[in-house]
Amino acid sequence: MSERSARRRADGIDDATTAPPPGADQLSEADAAYLAGLAPATPTAYHRQNPLTKATAATMATLGAFVLGGYVGPLAILVLGVVPGAIVAGLLGRLVRLAALISLPIAVSVALVSVFTRAGETVLFVIGPFDATLEGVDFAAQIIVRLFVIAMALGLFGLTTDPRALVVDLERRGVPPRVAFAAAATLETIPAMIERAQTIQAAQRARGLDTEGSLGARVRGVMPLVGPVILSSLTEVEERSLALEVRAFGRPGRRHLLWTLPDSGRQRLVRWLLVGLFLAVAVGRVSGSLPAPL
Amino acid sequence: MLAGRQPDNHEEEGGMSGSFIRVLIGVVAALAVIVLGLASVGALDPTVDPDTFLIAGSNQFALIVAIALLVGFVAYALVEYLQTRRLDSITRQFDTRTIVLIPIAIAINIVLGQTVGTALKMPVYMDSIGTILVGVLAGPIPGALTGLLANLIWTFVLSGTPFGSPYAWPFAIVAAEIGLLAGIFGYYGFFRSRPNTPTVPLVLGAAVAIGVLASLAYFGILPAYLKGALIGSDLATVEPFFIAIAVIIGIAVVLTAILLVVYLFLRRDLGVAYIVVGGAICGVVSALISAPISAVVFGGVTGSGTDILVASFQQAGADLQTAVLQQGLISDPIDKTLTYIVVFALLGTLSRRFTARFPQGERAVGTAEG
Amino acid sequence: MLSMRGVSYRYPGYARQVLQDLDLEIAPGDIVGLVGRNDAGKSTLCLVAAGLAPASIGGTLTGEVRVDGISTVGRPTHELAASVGLVFQDSNTQRSGVTATVFEEVALGSVNLGRSVAETVRRTRDAMATLRIEALADRDPARLSGGQAQLVAVASILAMGPRLLVLDEPTAQLDPEGTRLVGAALRDLAATGTALLIAEHKTDLLDGLCSRIIALDGGRIALDGPAASVLEDPALAAIGVESPARVRLARAATERGLTIPAGAFAR
Repeated sequence: MSERSARRRADGIDDATTAPPPGADQLSEADAAYLAGLAPATPTAYHRQNPLTKATAATMATLGAFVLGGYVGPLAILVLGVVPGAIVAGLLGRLVRLAALISLPIAVSVALVSVFTRAGETVLFVIGPFDATLEGVDFAAQIIVRLFVIAMALGLFGLTTDPRALVVDLERRGVPPRVAFAAAATLETIPAMIERAQTIQAAQRARGLDTEGSLGARVRGVMPLVGPVILSSLTEVEERSLALEVRAFGRPGRRHLLWTLPDSGRQRLVRWLLVGLFLAVAVGRVSGSLPAPL
Repeated sequence: MLAGRQPDNHEEEGGMSGSFIRVLIGVVAALAVIVLGLASVGALDPTVDPDTFLIAGSNQFALIVAIALLVGFVAYALVEYLQTRRLDSITRQFDTRTIVLIPIAIAINIVLGQTVGTALKMPVYMDSIGTILVGVLAGPIPGALTGLLANLIWTFVLSGTPFGSPYAWPFAIVAAEIGLLAGIFGYYGFFRSRPNTPTVPLVLGAAVAIGVLASLAYFGILPAYLKGALIGSDLATVEPFFIAIAVIIGIAVVLTAILLVVYLFLRRDLGVAYIVVGGAICGVVSALISAPISAVVFGGVTGSGTDILVASFQQAGADLQTAVLQQGLISDPIDKTLTYIVVFALLGTLSRRFTARFPQGERAVGTAEG
Repeated sequence: MLSMRGVSYRYPGYARQVLQDLDLEIAPGDIVGLVGRNDAGKSTLCLVAAGLAPASIGGTLTGEVRVDGISTVGRPTHELAASVGLVFQDSNTQRSGVTATVFEEVALGSVNLGRSVAETVRRTRDAMATLRIEALADRDPARLSGGQAQLVAVASILAMGPRLLVLDEPTAQLDPEGTRLVGAALRDLAATGTALLIAEHKTDLLDGLCSRIIALDGGRIALDGPAASVLEDPALAAIGVESPARVRLARAATERGLTIPAGAFAR
């Protein structure tokens, strides 16, 4: 994205925050307070940061962990960036548990695949056809550190940002309402579909379909599940879209949203600094002016 | 036909020349990325790798082309936004039905990808049914955007929930490619049912489908054994574990081929042959694009049943990149062919009245019954 | 308000005309009931009246449909949304799924119309007051009873300020309690001066609510007149519509030689 377009977009945001939407002057103080109360709760200073700021921080931490590689870079991002944020947000313990839970299965895979199969000079021990090498352990550890840092950074974003807040903020910044709708609607669709899948699965178990046991049994158990779950969701599409159109969904142009989230010049500066820092690191790494990853 | 569909009364600002500039800038941006990409990975190595029978540079090249397409599209959208302050020419592709379908498609991807994919414990992912459905019914651009959005939402919007995955977004470009290809295949009628096909075309179709699968096996899978010294070398030195894996893969591929042919003749529907060809192509392209991403980002591991293949190929002596590519060339065509079959069967059960109301529905599935 | 002249309509890909040469006038403030068999064309008439057919669904419309004197032909649905509202059967599919409170859900249509925040808030409060659901404002719209959810759906259309509200079997998926709730709300709504067109097979609900009843049969208007006379018309049974309980009761009593004092069953 070019600097110029980014600045233009930023200016657009300023218009939205400083110039009141038409008719807003007639809004009583009580109504304004009520509407502000509809926005998702933000209990701590970190929660209160604009969703885009938190998203930028998480993305740059993720990309930074990739580009830096090794141990020192990703761990520095974790200790200097993610952990302080999590402490401010008061959910360090919860975040560590979430990140561990998410990265554990893939970490186990990484450990098994890399430790035992990576060719190397120093063989540590041998199990059956597999020799564990020091190089394999090193490689696996690097990948696992990186995966954990990514899970922490994105988990912090997720735990401190209500998805509705992110979607509303993106729409205020010019993301088409249709895209915003698709993103926001996904939130509710997934639990609904899981519920539906479980209902159908329970019904089919009651009719004697097997979802455990041998591969053949599992395939036979899963296939009758897929169709009904998908079909029952799809049959709703027509009525849902008509109901939305009746609510003027297709109308082009901007909407005046009931609540928005505060942003500040300071936060914008922080965002650009984070992006700049990442770009500097990336250029440094590619050009070789940064030392090799440790 | 759709005489009453709303006329487009929101003429683009900027008109013809505006859209010409956008396309031009998009194409230039895409070409620039290809040139830059090739320069950074070194010139495309056209020599054929004797082990994999693939052009040595094809792996990175596919990823570069995919990124170039994405950058070109973003450049196009950016210019349109600067010109008109809106993204009309893109959002116009999304009617309300498609917009309502997208969240459901994403939910299908995630729910089936996480529950069915892991429940089956097979080296398939089954996480693109929704994306392919949107691509076929709504067109290549909505399909690509659904794939892209699905993975971004999976990571960013859902990251605080149990359904989130912080590792989904690097593969957003693969998901976009899957949706794009499904849209293109849909446009050319690959997903159209062709019931009561006479025997001769049916046999021809089966031959083509088997040919595609066989050449895939020959070029994509057989080299893995050769490289891994499983076949043609001293079997005594090879661990039984790897021989077992090789045999299992071989059986899986042959079984898939047999099942597809049986399905083809059972339904007497030439459409199945089209689907096999489309799914196989989609699988190969997906493997080419995702292998470098997977290798660089995750050390070639995804946490699913496919990891055992990567491990085997690496242990057998392949380097990481090659092992991941070989795994992809085995898993992805099987996965995508099965997914295409699921979508094809699904489209067959949906009423034509329903599918015909999507932007590309009538073209892709056929007209409504009388 | 709404005027249809010689309207015929068929769905895309179908040869059959679902509506045939229909003439219909609805004046401001009219409360019109629409009855008929399941395939008589009630839902189709609702879709045509709200401008969804053919604008969103496709198909072929001949004849003339005017809303507030302006032809609907070629106009996208969102341009008609502020003039004609449409409520469907299923409150679940009408819920947007993107809002966390009933207040936001009711306000959605008004926000979509691009109205100012102050105007949206005023209209949202008015609509909820009319249907007496102010107490639900802060509830999660996904966790309401069927009747409450349907009232939220009606309110979200009402907040857009249409002068004609079309309801396609609004109580078909509700339990007796929900039906009673929606019925009472429709009475309140009728008092506000909004014109209503209510497709409904429960004639008991229409009895006493509507000033006029239209009976459809095979896509044509079979009966059209004051509610009392149409609902008591013996011809209703022939086109598959069950008369209200009080009419059937009075008829059964008369057949057995009992005399019912006039107005004994009147509502």
